[in-house]
Formats: sequence, structure tokens, C-alpha cells
Amino acid sequence: MEPAQSATPKPGKTKRVKFVSPKTVALYGTLTALTAAITMATFVPFAPTKGYFNLGDAMVFFSGLSFGWRAGAICGGIGSAAADILLGSGYFAPYTLVAKGSEGLVSGLVGRTNKGKKWAVVLGIAAGGACMVLTYFLSELLILNVGWGPALTEAVGNIVQVTVGGTIGALLSHYVSKSYPALAKP
Amino acid sequence: MTGFVDLYTEADTFLHRMDPRVKIAAVLLLSILAFLLSSLYYLLVLLAFIFLLTYLAKATMSRTMFALKFVLRLMVLIIVLWPLFDPSGTPVLASLGPVKITVPAIVRGLTSAVRVGCLATVWYILMFTTSQRDLVRALVKLGLRFDFGLTLAISLRFFPTFISTIDSITDAQRARGMELGRGRLFKRSKNYVSVLVPAIVSALRTADTLALALQSRAYGARSDRTFLTEIKMRGTDYAALSVVLGLLVVPLVAKYFFSVPL
Repeated sequence: MEPAQSATPKPGKTKRVKFVSPKTVALYGTLTALTAAITMATFVPFAPTKGYFNLGDAMVFFSGLSFGWRAGAICGGIGSAAADILLGSGYFAPYTLVAKGSEGLVSGLVGRTNKGKKWAVVLGIAAGGACMVLTYFLSELLILNVGWGPALTEAVGNIVQVTVGGTIGALLSHYVSKSYPALAKP
Repeated sequence: MTGFVDLYTEADTFLHRMDPRVKIAAVLLLSILAFLLSSLYYLLVLLAFIFLLTYLAKATMSRTMFALKFVLRLMVLIIVLWPLFDPSGTPVLASLGPVKITVPAIVRGLTSAVRVGCLATVWYILMFTTSQRDLVRALVKLGLRFDFGLTLAISLRFFPTFISTIDSITDAQRARGMELGRGRLFKRSKNYVSVLVPAIVSALRTADTLALALQSRAYGARSDRTFLTEIKMRGTDYAALSVVLGLLVVPLVAKYFFSVPL
């Protein structure tokens, strides 16, 4: 899949306008929608923080591991931020954009080195997850200024979420490439 | 699973008629204002003003409560936990070992909670009154490349579709004996793999079909764009924009030039 492709220039115009190829537009659009949908549809009750957590991270890792860092960053970041806005926590959207975007970017960059060997995938998920947890922790502490207590509580929840999400994401990437062979070829 | 996927409520108020770009600007400016204010009273006034606007936007109670659910949890967490982690200030109300509960710490916790409340509710002005279509249109008008806008529009269009796909796959797997609510946290999450794999494969098939549809409609053949509906700034939009700007600039000048404690 090529990330960008230039369109035929309009006759009479010398300036070439670059378009993203229709394949990419469709793929990124659906992946973004799926990230938002999974974030919203998979609530698992989580007792220690009396909260909920979702498997949106699994989808972010899947996008990064299966389609590369660009898809991970765009679909993970925008999809999760859109889910935040649609769920009514829009104030979190900017931080989510950075947190999940970097999560997808890093896991895509690291996880696909060496043709996606097992250790690379594990390393990618760990590094991406660390990016997400740190971004949320620092933005809650320094920008939103919620205080140490809530920031630490949320960080613990995020670590659990990222561990579960990372495992599921790696499983998804493995199973989907088996059941949808078009994905397996680079 | 939640009932709605779109906070937008159809109505005909001045906020619905307003240019979406003005509303985006209002959300950003009022968010900056919330960071600027550090006094509990002024933040409460701001919160009341935002609630007044959502009331004027004819937001239904159930939708507001649905949207507020996650914010309220964080606000309660801040109010309860802030004093436990902040031992500074006097008078001390109670102390137990290293933990001291002080009055200034309680006030600071309340202030921070109200600020988070303001930052959260200010978005409702935009989300309750602007359809997703208008939102994408406004972002493209503000300089977002239209192919990125199209990607965003596609994802907003398919979001509810995928939610119902996930729901029906869940039902199908349940009928085959999958138990989502059983087991410990990790086991429970792992059960979702059997839902997510079919969901992803079906989404990727949709993407393939969609790419063909886009190509067959000559997507990207022309470099210039025309729009079916143009959005234009009217007099009232400029008036609203200047009011919101004034709301930010007046406290800014008062705080940093005349050192009024805000």
C-alpha cells in the first residue's frame, strides 16, 4: 500500500496538487472509525479504580503493528480522540491525540523492525504503552493540574489497560493476518 | 453499550444557527479562560455561564447526564484525593501520621475540580449544537486538507455502522457459547478477540469496497474543489465572536496589566 500518490494535474495548471490515494483514504477512514467504535463498544468493568477500561488500545497497537507507524499514529490518535469527544470528555481529546498517536507511532516503528519478530513486537508495545501512560500522567499533572492522587490512580489504570490492550493487539495482528491474507503481504 | 453515538440534538436555537467556526473558536477561547482563572468563585461563574449556554441550546437532560458521567467521576476523585496529597497551608483540620488535611488544600482541590468541569462542559456547546457534517466542513474551511477532511467524514460516517457490527458479532458469538462476562479481567478481555477479529476483517473488506467506490467516482481527478453548501460568517457570527474574544481579553488584561487577582 503506497501512502500517497499524486493526482493528474489539471490541464493548464503547472502546480501539481498531491492527493492521498483513495485506497489510503478508505483504509484510514475505516480504521479510525473502528478504533473509535471499539473504544466505545468494549467496556470492561475494572474494580480497583471503580472505573471502566476499554480495548481501544488493542486497536491502536493493531493499526501500528499491521499497517505501520503512519496508520498507527493517525488512526490511533484521531480515532481515540474522536471517541473522547463523542463520549463527552472532549477536554481529554488533545491529550488523547498525543498519547494514543505516539503510542501507535512508536509501536509501529519499533514493532515492525526486523520483519516483526516476536521480541520487536513486545518491545514496540512496551515502548508505545510507556509513551501513552507518561503522556496522560504528565498532562494530567502539569496541564490539567488534577493533583498527585488522581493522576497516579489514572496511571495505574492506564498501565493495566495498556498491558491488556497490547496483548490483545498483538494477538489481533497475528490472527487477522492469518484470516485476511491480503494483509500479510507488505 | 451506550445508547447514543452522537451528542448532536436537532433544534433551532441561535447556537445551532451560528457558524461552526465561531463555536470552535469559542471552545478554544473559553478553555484558555478556564486555565487563566485561578479563583474558585470566578471559575464557578464560568461554569454557570457554560451551563446557561447548554440550557439555551435546548440540550436534553439525559444527554447532558450521559456526557457528564465520566467528568463527574474525575471531579469527585480530585476533590477527595487532592487534600490527602497536599499537606501545605494552615489551618490544619485533621492529621493522621504524615497525612494532613488543610483548608487551603481543600479549596485548591475544589478549584481544580471546577476547572476540569469547565474544560469538559465547554465542549458541549459545540457538540450539542453542531452536526458532524458541519464540523468537518468547518475544519476544511479552516484549512484542513480536503482529503484529510474526507477521511474524517468517512470515519464519522462508519462509526455507528461499526458499533452495530460489533454488537451483532457479539450476539452471534454469544449464541455459540462465548461468555463475555465470565472470568478474571484478562480472561474477560481475551474473550473479545473472537469479536474483534471478525469486526476488523469486515472493516477491511468495507475499506476495499470503499476505495473502489471512491475511484469509480473519480476521486482526486480535479485539483479544485467546489462545495454543495457554503458556510458564511454573518453579522451575528461576528458579534458572537467579538463577545467571546472580549470574555477572554478583559480578564487577561485585568490579570496581567492591572494585577487584579482572578
